Amino acid sequence: MSTKGTHIPERLKIPFAGITPAPTQEKGQDLFPTGNWRSIRPVYRDKLPPCNNACGTNEKIQGYLDLVKRGKYLDAYALIKEDMPFPSVTGRVCYHPCEQACNRGKYDEAISIRAVERFLGDLGQALKRDVVKAGKSNGKKVAVVGSGPAGHSAAYQLARLGYGVTILEKSPKAGGLNRGGIPDWVLPQDVLEREIKRLVELGITIRTNVEVGKDVSWDDLKKDYDAVVLAVGLTEPNSVRAEGENKDGVLYGLPFLRDIGMGTSKVKLGARVAVIGGGNTAIDCAREALRQGAVEVTMITVEGNREEMPASPEDLHDMLEEGVELMHGHAVTAVLGNGKVETLQLHPARFSGAINASPITVNREVPAEQFHVDHVIIAVGQHASLAWLPAEFKTERGTIKIDRFGRLGDTNFFAAGDIVQLGSGQPLMVVNAVGDGKRVAFNLDKVMRGESLEPRTIPIDVIFDLNRMNMTYFPHFPRVHQTLLPPASRRKTQQEVIQAFTEEQAVEEAGRCFSCGTCNACDNCYLVCPEPCIARPARSNGLYKILVDYCKGCRVCIEECPTGCLEGVPELDFDTGVVRMDTAFAISPGLHGRQAEELRHLGERAAKNI
Amino acid sequence: MATATAAKKKMVRINGCVAAAQAAKYADVDVIAAYPIRPYTATMMALAQMVANGELDAEYIVADSEHSQLSISHGASSCGARVFTGSSGVGVQFAYELYSPISGSRMPVQMMIADRTLDPPGDFGSEHTDALSTRDMGWLMGWSCDAQEAFDNHLMAYRIGEDPRVLLPQMVCQDGFFVSHITSDVELPDSGQVKEFLPPYKHPYPLDPRHPVSHGPQIMPEQGPPLQLERARAMEDSMAVIEEVHDEFAKIFGRRYDPWVEEFMTDGADVVFFLQGAHAVTARFAIQHMRDKGLKVGLVRLRTIRPYPTDRVKEVLSKFKVVGVIETNMGLGGVSSGGVLYGEVCAALYESDRRPLVLSFMAGMGGEAIVLKEFYWMAERMLDAQKRGKIEKRTHWVGFEE
Repeated sequence: MSTKGTHIPERLKIPFAGITPAPTQEKGQDLFPTGNWRSIRPVYRDKLPPCNNACGTNEKIQGYLDLVKRGKYLDAYALIKEDMPFPSVTGRVCYHPCEQACNRGKYDEAISIRAVERFLGDLGQALKRDVVKAGKSNGKKVAVVGSGPAGHSAAYQLARLGYGVTILEKSPKAGGLNRGGIPDWVLPQDVLEREIKRLVELGITIRTNVEVGKDVSWDDLKKDYDAVVLAVGLTEPNSVRAEGENKDGVLYGLPFLRDIGMGTSKVKLGARVAVIGGGNTAIDCAREALRQGAVEVTMITVEGNREEMPASPEDLHDMLEEGVELMHGHAVTAVLGNGKVETLQLHPARFSGAINASPITVNREVPAEQFHVDHVIIAVGQHASLAWLPAEFKTERGTIKIDRFGRLGDTNFFAAGDIVQLGSGQPLMVVNAVGDGKRVAFNLDKVMRGESLEPRTIPIDVIFDLNRMNMTYFPHFPRVHQTLLPPASRRKTQQEVIQAFTEEQAVEEAGRCFSCGTCNACDNCYLVCPEPCIARPARSNGLYKILVDYCKGCRVCIEECPTGCLEGVPELDFDTGVVRMDTAFAISPGLHGRQAEELRHLGERAAKNI
Repeated sequence: MATATAAKKKMVRINGCVAAAQAAKYADVDVIAAYPIRPYTATMMALAQMVANGELDAEYIVADSEHSQLSISHGASSCGARVFTGSSGVGVQFAYELYSPISGSRMPVQMMIADRTLDPPGDFGSEHTDALSTRDMGWLMGWSCDAQEAFDNHLMAYRIGEDPRVLLPQMVCQDGFFVSHITSDVELPDSGQVKEFLPPYKHPYPLDPRHPVSHGPQIMPEQGPPLQLERARAMEDSMAVIEEVHDEFAKIFGRRYDPWVEEFMTDGADVVFFLQGAHAVTARFAIQHMRDKGLKVGLVRLRTIRPYPTDRVKEVLSKFKVVGVIETNMGLGGVSSGGVLYGEVCAALYESDRRPLVLSFMAGMGGEAIVLKEFYWMAERMLDAQKRGKIEKRTHWVGFEE
């Protein structure tokens, strides 16, 4: 009888035929730690979704879409507020580079991110008290010059960091481009008003009618504040350098909009209006012109066709719907009329280089066209007014000279927004100015705390390739579209053109998000693990845990991860939490050692037994 | 639980296949996993009729292969069902993966084997190689030599395998055609007797959604040996149970079998045949004729090969001068260059003080009958060895030598 006299040591005693509680039961896996079989370990490594990456201020877009999907609106609002002081504004005005980058756009239609942002922004507006609080005061004072998007953002972040912030605004009302550059039917005044009130609630002082170089000097700023953020924007309209441009009836884009925004406009437009320029401001001017009483509005662009225009295709579409005419490939060479504009002289023209910053070639060899107008609005960009700035900080292109951290030399002055971004290749968008303001605020804080400024060295992994996700989990589903006022009625009113999402629409649209490369707690790994070796202590992001003592590295969870956030990492890359093959027997401590001991005394023992 | 129809004791004339089917019916099996292959097919045909006629209430599952048959059996047994399955020849081989898992998880599945020669070519005659090739997989295993014994062995195997001290699967074997297809008188018992003899099957840890357990989980290498040791213990512990069960069977049904070996005319014998299965029937006639001539020839028939009764084989065979092992199986390139039984016999005898000479006969291969004159020829080889006191040739291919 071979089994006579055998005994199984206590540490190896196992239940009948190895039958154990099921893996889902308590202690169901304790008996057989099989993790040492693994050569690949599943690891949750969130990547940057392309939307977050494309956003000028890197809003955690995937994050708030996921929260909206789960009905956690307030959490979603708090998340967006980390990077964006006024989602109610950008939710209306942003040219949403996130949506252009959205991976879903390559699959069916991009997520309507801006509409969800507006849903959250409006929710925030309705709150009696904002979720954001000022940081604990550090006793330092910072002046922010300018209250446009960049200044607003910098002031907001600095207040959160504990600085005593004063905003200096040369206009009678704060808001900068948000107020003066965006028509009411895109961004109602009261929405902006409430966001500015939120700044005051954060303890920020806003001093209007204070102009740097006139009311406050460079030296005053240096003396009165520990640090300064210059976010003065581009205030001066560019000219088309046409003969007779100084005639009555010649208006410039931003001042035209600004005067309406500030309520100081005295212009009464005639029936025929021409808008010169092919950008977004030109579009806003053309549409505003309709609302200011113009009957026929024509947009005259140097660009030869619609595609070349540096404008949002959506806004262009809405403008055409409202009845604005387009005339491409022409430049104004003279403004004719007796004291007041009557006719524009046009010549065929084209950009001779890249769009936006290139010289214009005008063909004067053909006879000029005459275009009758009552008013002309010139909207071909802006430039800065920096007479007050020490020469050493001026660039050749008329902007403020900064290092890559937004700092002026080794001073405590920083600059952000259009005033530094013009000509940098970065489109001049509200969201980019907000991001600039945010980054400069954080850099300023580091300088104030005596920390060194280091550029980011870790490469960011952005998922652009749909093959890195498991697309079988995403059925095609159309985008939820925002409703627009009908063109015929909206072209004469200041009512908002684009209507807000309902709660249901916001949730439905947020639910279309792929959550590219980022765990959204979909539970798929938890469900597909054949053992299961994935613990789910709580159903929220990033809280799954791989039970490394048991996971055999079968890769099923990795292959089946819809978002591509699970990665297989070679086990040898780890030095903790692993049962490696070479240490596997350490599970029964000293087994090998004991064997070795026995081996050493084998001869003596055999002799003794005889 | 399935319920078989109550029946009174009666004599019937049936073949081995039907006897096995009857035994399954009397055992009131819950699940039958079928897949056809000659010659065992008739068993499943008979059971299909019984289920169709309402004589037996059981799940009758037609599998898509023998591998599936055994997989179904494994799963059904894990859930606590009494399972009956079976096969022949290459069908036995196709299910090979499942033999160790079933015994390792200690599931008392019962499998009826009607032997068939393995391919190639497509010889359908009886040869024990099919079942014997699985002999070390932890299944209880033994051969019957006629339909009555087949019926009895099936009932006893359930009782032994399902004993909580054992919990092992059983292969109940009979020679294809010689037993499976030859009709003889079989006494079918009173169903009350079977009820008394065979209590319902109860696995200690069945799969049950109300009490989730894990069968066959992955383990660490060092956790394997204790499980193997326990399976080995179960196999050894089954020996006492086998003896108890044979005793009790005799008490209830009146037929007494030696659980390990049947001795036939061994009194005063110098030379004995040692074999398993159906050829014992012919051997008995041959021996009677040879005894009439005054030759001291006898027969020892092995009834249970797993667990192997080493000590009993040693004790019994040590009484003789020469043992002639009739293999009826292939052990190509093995210890005797013939069959596998020779090695088992010799190993048992190695520690004996009075070791007989052992010859190996390759006879009954491919399903050929071993005819009387072949028994005489083999006896001559054995008597010759006895006279010389040594063997000239260890293994003989009967019918191919002078």
